[in-house]
Amino acid sequence: MKGMKVKTDSPVTRKAREGVMEFLLVNHPLDCPICDQGGECDLQDQSMAFGSDRSRFTDNAFTGKRAVEDKNIGPLIKTIMTRCIHCTRCIRFASEVAGVDDLGTSGRGSDMQVGTYVEKMFKSELSGNVIDLCPVGALTSKPYAFTTRPWETRRIESIDVMDAVGSNIVVSMRTNEVMRILPRLNEDINEEWISDKSRFAYDGLKRQRLTTPFVRNNSGELVATDWETALFDIAQRVKDANPATIAGVAGGQADLEAMVCLKDMINRLGSEVLCTEEAFPMINSGTDFRSNYVMNTTIAGIEESDLVFLVGTNPRLEGSLVNARIRKSWVHNEMCVVLLGAPVDLSYDYQYLGDSFSVLKEIADGSHPIAKALADADKPMIILGSDAIQHNNGSLILDTVKRIAKNTKKSLNHPDWKVFNVLHRNASQVGALDMGYKPGMDSLKCDKPSLLFLLGADADKLNNDDLHGNAGVIYIGSHGDAGAQMADVVLPAAAYTEKDAMYVNTEGRAQVGRQAVSPPGMARHDWKIIRALSEILGVSLPYDKLSDVRGRLAEISPTFDRPGRVEETGFDNVSDDVTIDKITHTGATAPVVPALLKLRDFYMTDPISRSSLTMAKCVQAYDEAEANPYSKPEAI
Amino acid sequence: MLSAFCRAVVSAANQQVRTISCSAAVSGGHSFVHRDTPGNNPDTPFEFTPENLKRCETIIANYPKGHEAAACIPLLDLAQRQNNNWLPISAMHKVSEMLKMPRMRVYEVATFYTMFNREPVGKYFVQICTTTPCMLGGVGSDVILDAIRENLGIDVGQTTEDKMFTLTEVECLGACVNAPMVQINDDYYEDLTVDDMNRILNELKQGKKPKAGPQSGQNHRFASEPKTGLTALTETPTGPGFGVRADL
Amino acid sequence: MSLFQKIGNIGKIFRQNGGLVGSYLKLFRTDDLKWGTLVGEDKYGNKYFQNDYYFMGRNRWVEYPLSVGHDYDASQVPPEWHRWLQYIADEPPSQLPLPKRKWMADHTENLSGTERCYVPYSTTRPKVEAWVPPKNNL
Repeated sequence: MKGMKVKTDSPVTRKAREGVMEFLLVNHPLDCPICDQGGECDLQDQSMAFGSDRSRFTDNAFTGKRAVEDKNIGPLIKTIMTRCIHCTRCIRFASEVAGVDDLGTSGRGSDMQVGTYVEKMFKSELSGNVIDLCPVGALTSKPYAFTTRPWETRRIESIDVMDAVGSNIVVSMRTNEVMRILPRLNEDINEEWISDKSRFAYDGLKRQRLTTPFVRNNSGELVATDWETALFDIAQRVKDANPATIAGVAGGQADLEAMVCLKDMINRLGSEVLCTEEAFPMINSGTDFRSNYVMNTTIAGIEESDLVFLVGTNPRLEGSLVNARIRKSWVHNEMCVVLLGAPVDLSYDYQYLGDSFSVLKEIADGSHPIAKALADADKPMIILGSDAIQHNNGSLILDTVKRIAKNTKKSLNHPDWKVFNVLHRNASQVGALDMGYKPGMDSLKCDKPSLLFLLGADADKLNNDDLHGNAGVIYIGSHGDAGAQMADVVLPAAAYTEKDAMYVNTEGRAQVGRQAVSPPGMARHDWKIIRALSEILGVSLPYDKLSDVRGRLAEISPTFDRPGRVEETGFDNVSDDVTIDKITHTGATAPVVPALLKLRDFYMTDPISRSSLTMAKCVQAYDEAEANPYSKPEAI
Repeated sequence: MLSAFCRAVVSAANQQVRTISCSAAVSGGHSFVHRDTPGNNPDTPFEFTPENLKRCETIIANYPKGHEAAACIPLLDLAQRQNNNWLPISAMHKVSEMLKMPRMRVYEVATFYTMFNREPVGKYFVQICTTTPCMLGGVGSDVILDAIRENLGIDVGQTTEDKMFTLTEVECLGACVNAPMVQINDDYYEDLTVDDMNRILNELKQGKKPKAGPQSGQNHRFASEPKTGLTALTETPTGPGFGVRADL
Repeated sequence: MSLFQKIGNIGKIFRQNGGLVGSYLKLFRTDDLKWGTLVGEDKYGNKYFQNDYYFMGRNRWVEYPLSVGHDYDASQVPPEWHRWLQYIADEPPSQLPLPKRKWMADHTENLSGTERCYVPYSTTRPKVEAWVPPKNNL
């Protein structure tokens, strides 16, 4: 109304606000001192700002305060439902973002309860986010319960490495211990969510750690030793090895700095055998062009798309926040999703094309209706999963998908729109390929390396038959997992919360993670270990500081020099046109099925989450939920 | 001295008086959390009868495609009527399956509406209104409630041992002008006196069906008209076209 | 006190402490020179002296054995002599031995700051559990 005056701080307004606060607090326990939300509680803040300094609640003797029984919704979320103020944010999150309609309100009026009505686990890969959403302490973190207060912790902004999405996180640290991990807002990547593995696997950083170097003795046992002995032992092994067949493997969570140091060192020793754990067919232009192996449209670009064609991937478990973005688009933009692979639960509806490669071929030939749908779509996306690429006929699948992308582009109204995308699973993969690592270990197996450096490579894809007779294996990593078990020398390195390091996510976006705590025991930063080793091996690397290593990275690729930004890939037309190999159908093509099918598979995928007790509890809870009749998938 | 003591006692007592009202405890002791019981669990058999299945289809067809969830309340009601006036959890699951909606959304509806009984009730579900107008009108609901208690030997929220009657106390049922009243299953019994109430309950016990509507409290009136006869609308109703311009 | 008496005392001190060199060494070790009568010696080799010429508080003292060198401290005095030294009792244990009960532990000096000092074990769990390599792998 014209000329209307709105008073926001008059005595009447203040009294009204005080009244509202009083009503809220009538149904809320005064247990801030024992509440985990204390210090970061919206209700506490509001009460301090607008509430009264005294209570008129005198009904303790008669009906008492409202009390609601707690719910058991799994090993991650602790519920103290008496504190619930019925804002229903968790319900909206579950139903709109996570796509799991497990939470709701039962009853009415002041007897209303937020919960599941029946006892069941809140089965979602994004469930932890309701802890952040809850404005009060009704939903809090079970592993974090009663450990720290928010004002005691220091918060360090970092990058998650549990998948290739590169979610932005905040690591809360106290007394050199990671207390919890929270999401950090980045609208381009993870918005304000992170997956449960990113959030809760941090207790894996405290178990199964390598805190001292190990050298295998004559009786075949790893014996703890000091750095000097271990490094000189390696020097002797390098001296004995054939320099041309010294090999390096970068694991799934290796950072850019360590990878560039390892590559430079091994190159200086005279070998070119450097590879990653995840394969990528080196057909046609292989990994020469960036557009061949990154998510070209970017994660935020999914929102512009009107048709997403998923090939051999389960984005819900391989990149939970990519899936959340697809769901967001599916809900709000009427995006269509088509899936070729396993009929997994993606939390949204999709058209299922089966798991047969022949369908893919039909689409490439234009005889399948989806080919027309792709051609008619305004901004179609094809997302190729890393399991499809590593298929026994991976090169054929890649070639066919590239042909589909090429055909689709012909009828595209937006010349800049890139159709072809790859969804990786490992945080290190894109950075390693950018740097010139060879994807997959086939070339390595051919070479029969005489000395093998494993940089956190724990995928257990190698065995001793792949190596030269008495080849030595040197493991540089943070956890005692598959890699350390097969190694002859183990060098303890830092996990991702313990080092300033860069990672490139599946979009090709370089990001800087910062050190929150120091590496445990005698463990050191990965790149420093390799730098020290190079000195002993007589091939000193020319960088002494982290900034020098970053300078070296910038020399390799300008994308490494612009953290946080994603460089648009170029030459995608050229890369499409390069045809060197004639791909033929070799042998039977197995169904194109991703490895991660159920939520159970999601919880333990890397050394950190495999060491995590919380993740083990999640697996256990999932198995229990399988037996619960209320947790049966609903026919919707 | 004595008066000062009395004042102190009164003021101390006053401080314990409720200053903020809370809703009464849920009648019938219903909890808003489901717990499996031998008679009520996901394996409790529930299937719509063929006739009801046909009815369901008709109800669902009333709503546009993609909005089948709108049929949730009528389907739950149908399920409850078919299942001795109560709704086992398996029936909720059945409805959610038929409407392709998440189970939690069905639970929400079934727990929100007090007319859905999520626990078994007697054959005759007696709901007595005790809201202010019924409490004050006629002989008053307190007297009627006492009469029912005495007649059936049960208290509010209980079921008779022969599973014939369940008594609950409810808020306003919208028949204030005919107070006091009870609702037994779908029928309203209004203008009650103690004799009426006992007669109705006894007839139900004998398997008869007492006449619903106003009872003897206001001389067996037809509906809610005044005791002394109509004071308005006494002439014959005019036909169509009354008072309309002649040229139309 | 006359000057002669004082010179006489100096003479006694020198005589008792082993002449000029001995007195110098004793002064070097204990920063003190006294003369008095030997009251007794305990099993650790500590010698106890008394001389009421010095005033109360300084008239009873202990000389630690040479074997401990400069590392002497008051906790090397066993409790029965401590009793006499601190004027809790008038008679030294050499004259009036204390009853020896079977539950009495042997005297130990204060071991703080030495290698044998008591260190309580930690009751906090380590923040990081280290990996233990599996035995007889391969």
